[in-house]
Amino acid sequence: MTSSAAIESVAGFGRYLRGNGYPLGSGEQVALVEAALALTPANYRRLEPCWRSIVCTNRDQWQRYPELFRLYWRADAARGATRLSGAARRSRSLREAVEELHQSMAAGESPAAKAASGSFDAGAEARAETAAEGRAQGGASAVDPLEKRAIQEWRQEDLGKLLQIAEELARRIRRRLSRRVRIDDRGKALDIRRTLRRSLKYGGLPLAPAWQQRRRTLPRLFMLVDVSRSMELYAQLFLRVARAFCEVLGTRVFVFHTRLTEVTPLLKRASGRVQEKINAVTFGFGGGTRIAASLREFTAVHARAALTRRSIVMVCSDGYDTDPPEALRESLRAVVGRGARVYWLHPTRTTALSAALDQSRDFVTTFAPAHDLASLQKIPALIH
Amino acid sequence: MDATALRQGLIASGYVPDEELVSVLWLARALERPLLVEGDAGVGKTSIAGAFARATGRRLVRLQCYEGLDLQQAVYEWNYSRQLLAIRLGETGAARPDEQQLFQRSFLLERPLLQAITSPEPCVLLIDELDRADEAFEAYLLEVLAEYQITVPEIGTLKAKTIPFVVLTSNGTRELSDALRRRCLYHFLDYPDLAREIAIVKATLPEASGRMVEDAVGFIHRLRREELQKIPGIAETLDWIRALHKLEWRALPEDPETVLRTLACVLKTKDDRWQVTAETVQRLRSAAFGVAP
Repeated sequence: MTSSAAIESVAGFGRYLRGNGYPLGSGEQVALVEAALALTPANYRRLEPCWRSIVCTNRDQWQRYPELFRLYWRADAARGATRLSGAARRSRSLREAVEELHQSMAAGESPAAKAASGSFDAGAEARAETAAEGRAQGGASAVDPLEKRAIQEWRQEDLGKLLQIAEELARRIRRRLSRRVRIDDRGKALDIRRTLRRSLKYGGLPLAPAWQQRRRTLPRLFMLVDVSRSMELYAQLFLRVARAFCEVLGTRVFVFHTRLTEVTPLLKRASGRVQEKINAVTFGFGGGTRIAASLREFTAVHARAALTRRSIVMVCSDGYDTDPPEALRESLRAVVGRGARVYWLHPTRTTALSAALDQSRDFVTTFAPAHDLASLQKIPALIH
Repeated sequence: MDATALRQGLIASGYVPDEELVSVLWLARALERPLLVEGDAGVGKTSIAGAFARATGRRLVRLQCYEGLDLQQAVYEWNYSRQLLAIRLGETGAARPDEQQLFQRSFLLERPLLQAITSPEPCVLLIDELDRADEAFEAYLLEVLAEYQITVPEIGTLKAKTIPFVVLTSNGTRELSDALRRRCLYHFLDYPDLAREIAIVKATLPEASGRMVEDAVGFIHRLRREELQKIPGIAETLDWIRALHKLEWRALPEDPETVLRTLACVLKTKDDRWQVTAETVQRLRSAAFGVAP
């Protein structure tokens, strides 16, 4: 392996992670090489945690990383597991790559500088990604199974209306005042402590009074979208709504099926390929639906510290659950127990005849249909 | 200092790290990048900075974040009282200070960020619970963490003489911005596995009975799987075992009611206290020690 091949191998790892939703820029790519150079070749095993700290920016990425690392660098060990790419690829050796990087360093080359200017240039990566389009990604086909459905044919102005709905919702919930106060020159109440503090510079005369008023903070919004097989027709619509809410309201978005995963970082990026990546993550799941287990994981792991009395949780699902009916009730009780309010958006005109939903009605503030644009436009009026 | 020496230093200073954390700390130091540590409350995020400072012989500078934290409390503030005093002294006969003299470094109150930036020796800067601070403050940190410099309008830009080792912690009550995350290395600190937690307790409380430590930590590990509002962290484990040691117990008693009476050290909310009954204790004991209830 030459140093160029070693750098290309590391760059390929970066591209692979980016394809799985990791936000890697050229700075992070260079840091990957710098970390490899900072370690002695004998210590190459420490690279896995070192690189993990460079490429991960949240808990979800942190938890997924070991598997991705193993599949990329130890492809032989992953035999029998799901192939991650449809492309044939020669086996990689991390040890070889690190040794080559060090040899080229000793020979006077500067792989980090080369990495910054050469192999990691955006054009090369874009070409590589373009070449990879159409191949399988993340264990699932990148070809959208819903491509030919009606919702996919929404025009640009329809998508604009989703943003309007999100903005309307933002206007409504922003009206809520917090008990906390903030410094504001237009405030009506005197902040005595700060006024006294400011008066020090004027010899104790309160020439610069500090005013305060109550904060207006957005409640924390969470949106959980069911992407199971029974929701195949509607998941696209909900993901588009989620994207608008994410953009306007900073909503954290999760998708669930038989397990739960956060897709907020993917939704924040306005790229044509984002939808494909979401599809790769979501439609790669199994076929069942475990709403109760997913909600339990949401409460206990992902939003444990973030669920408060000012939280709103929107569940977008038809309510058909393979967990026992009472399990959903318990999961919702845990969410409501933290003070959050739960709104259930169902893709049908009426609430589904689901035993799980029937038993859980006490813990859902409102059930609302969200099967078309007209019903979506009524949602801001329901959420308070 | 290589990773192995760093690990030994951390252990000597009372922190038992896993290999992954050692590697990340070593890398953050080698690349001079800030380290963002996330994890549940009580898993030992804050202690990392203190242990690293002790292991490397650096001074620890701590900034505790809270809602409403502003630059005057985090970065610097002019010492108005001293300035006024200097002016009054000037009026009573001594040489009257001019404006430039009043805005010298000697009249500047250095808060933690400025202290870390101007420290002549490399120090450890702990920015604790950053998620509690406002977004405006987080945005301000971007310049400090990227350039290691602070601008004071009356003086100019103060560039760091030595790069501090920066540890930021967050409990996840608010999402931090992508911009901040990308400037940092990231580490998620989870609850330790059984063996490591036993090692942590034994390192902190060497006088406690070995069997009791193993019993109690095994019990806590089972308890964490219950659906509690506040999952007990390492701090709670240590508190509990310290209490059991004071009671001069050599092992966890058989009677669940007796154990239950000591769980105030571990269960910190009314709901959790109500949820864990003598039957729960009995079940957890049985599961932890593999005996029939």
